[in-house]
Amino acid sequence: MSAPVLQRPAPVRAGRVLPFPVTGQEVVLLVVVAVLWVALAAATPAFATEGSIVPLLVAMTPIALIGIGMTVVIVTGGIDVSVGSIVMVCAVVVAKALVGSGIGLPAAVGLGMVVGAALGLVNGALIAFGRVQAIIITFGTLNLFRFAGLQVFGSATVEGIPATLAPFGRGDEGRTLGVPHSFVVLLVVAALAWAYLRHTPGGRHFFAIGGDQDAARLAGIRVRSRIVLGYVLTGLLAGVAACFVIAQGTSSLAASVGSGLELSVIAAVVIGGTSITGGRGSVLGTLLGALLVQTVRTGVTQLGWPSQLSDLFVGVFIIVAVGADLLRQRRRPGRRRGTT
Amino acid sequence: MTARALRLVLTQRTALLVVLLLAVVVTLTTLSQRNYLSAPYDASYLAATLINAVPLAMLALAELLVITSGRGGIDLSVGAIVSLTGMVFGFAYGQWGWPLAPAIVLALVLGAACGALNGFLVAHLGFPALIATLATYYAFRSLALVVNDQKPINSPPVQALYSTATSVRVPLVGAALPEVPLGIVTFLLPTALVVWVVLARTTAGRRLYAIGTNDVAARWSGIDVRRTRWSAYVAAGAISGLVAVVTVAQFASARPDAGTSGNGMALPAITIAILGGVAITGGVGRVAGVVLATLLVVWLNAGILLAVPGNEGSQFQLFALGVVLVVAALLNALTQRRYGGTR
Repeated sequence: MSAPVLQRPAPVRAGRVLPFPVTGQEVVLLVVVAVLWVALAAATPAFATEGSIVPLLVAMTPIALIGIGMTVVIVTGGIDVSVGSIVMVCAVVVAKALVGSGIGLPAAVGLGMVVGAALGLVNGALIAFGRVQAIIITFGTLNLFRFAGLQVFGSATVEGIPATLAPFGRGDEGRTLGVPHSFVVLLVVAALAWAYLRHTPGGRHFFAIGGDQDAARLAGIRVRSRIVLGYVLTGLLAGVAACFVIAQGTSSLAASVGSGLELSVIAAVVIGGTSITGGRGSVLGTLLGALLVQTVRTGVTQLGWPSQLSDLFVGVFIIVAVGADLLRQRRRPGRRRGTT
Repeated sequence: MTARALRLVLTQRTALLVVLLLAVVVTLTTLSQRNYLSAPYDASYLAATLINAVPLAMLALAELLVITSGRGGIDLSVGAIVSLTGMVFGFAYGQWGWPLAPAIVLALVLGAACGALNGFLVAHLGFPALIATLATYYAFRSLALVVNDQKPINSPPVQALYSTATSVRVPLVGAALPEVPLGIVTFLLPTALVVWVVLARTTAGRRLYAIGTNDVAARWSGIDVRRTRWSAYVAAGAISGLVAVVTVAQFASARPDAGTSGNGMALPAITIAILGGVAITGGVGRVAGVVLATLLVVWLNAGILLAVPGNEGSQFQLFALGVVLVVAALLNALTQRRYGGTR
């Protein structure tokens, strides 16, 4: 009978605490986008040219930028359907400032960010402190923000917007060495968000809240302020996206700007593998989701099909992407949470 | 006494809605009598505006069924179903020369088929309802736009349908009441009655509340959870199909974006359902609450249109809808904490 004297704890396996940075969903998406691009290039010679790819990358930036914020919000178990209205308010405020006081580019983007963050704060505060379902509150603020935006518009379009924001536009001014500036901004924001969500305690708190809010609170996470931060970030990014929308448009801005944008953003996020029930999601997936959605839109137009048909494919891709994700989860019931 | 009254108003959603409805109508009637409004806000005006209540209330009843079925139940696609079935109804009645009754049945069946797809995705494959119906919203909306190359169908038979959207005298009661739009009698009341009977007087209704309250408990008590949840989505689709007929008649034209232009029809319908006391978590919701909430929204909107005429007025309607929804949600949460939920 030997006494178990030297029972040490098993050495900590020198492995990763975090799962592999690229998940199955992202690999699948990457393959799907690649296949689509090859097929489209084969079908229409115009697709694989710079004149088609660059506008595609520029056009996806507003959806992808807001999608990064939306990823954070959905990871905490919430949702924000008011982003379209936030974009509208920010766009009209910035456009009026550009026309009225001729502010410069940094001031315009800053203004958009401040307005967007303020509206996000309204959402976040109502949701975190009123303890109500995010979807209901943001349905309400969708209407309220739209009302505020229409009041600023004053029942007319904003005309004669100067080309201050052209460095983020589609034109030659919007690129350096052929790379669109807005796309570079998107990549930088995405890289920052990726590192923040994956490698800082603050970022991991979002996942913890989405996994189990009560457990997160008992573990000492300040749940409410984290939730508010998620919505503020989304609003802030929507403000930046609004500047991109102005830059991509003409010199006039109509009141319909941003209408229905929330659904495109949510589509990009869920195609990217972020779970709508919270606790799981990735910035990389959202980028790929937005790229896929925009590829479908561009592809349908270039094939000469009616452009409304693209929504049918977006719907099908949502079903396929989320369905594939559901299948994979069912096969591995043990590993549901905590991808980045 | 006041504590009991407060408790009654907070926990009985119908009580709160009746109080609010009276407040709105009394305030606006007073304003009208002192000539603050651009047109009289009287009984016949209120009756005429009920035409807006028909599609809203019917879709809100559809959302009632779906949201009550629980597990995050919601249907974003009802507006898109209205667009799509409206177009097909327009083809059948306006171009293929079908008689009216079979064309309405076709709309009903097609709507139910669209709902069956939603229900299959949600109940059988386990998709989150928000995602599944977002996807089908895109798909149906796109098909509705593409099917006739974005053009509306307004051939003579379709235009003649407009006569059915006019106001009529209520039979039996006769002259005692102002004339109400025909759609109230032919579509809204039967739908509301059927939904009420099913929910409140049949085992199917009890099963729906059971799966909405607790999925697992319902399964262990022998309820076919999948089938019950699936049928909630089918019913919502069928109601949307009927709304398509109403909308075509009201506009005298089958428009490809009837249910999806602007904010669409789904968001107001969900708003009214929530306002009517339907718990987004499932298992709670009554027909009376939804109908009262519709009346509140429609008559408030009608008053706003008279108080603030023109474009400005429709903007204030957005404001009112938003405020009402946020306040209703905050009230629901407060009631939940204080008294353990509405009834």
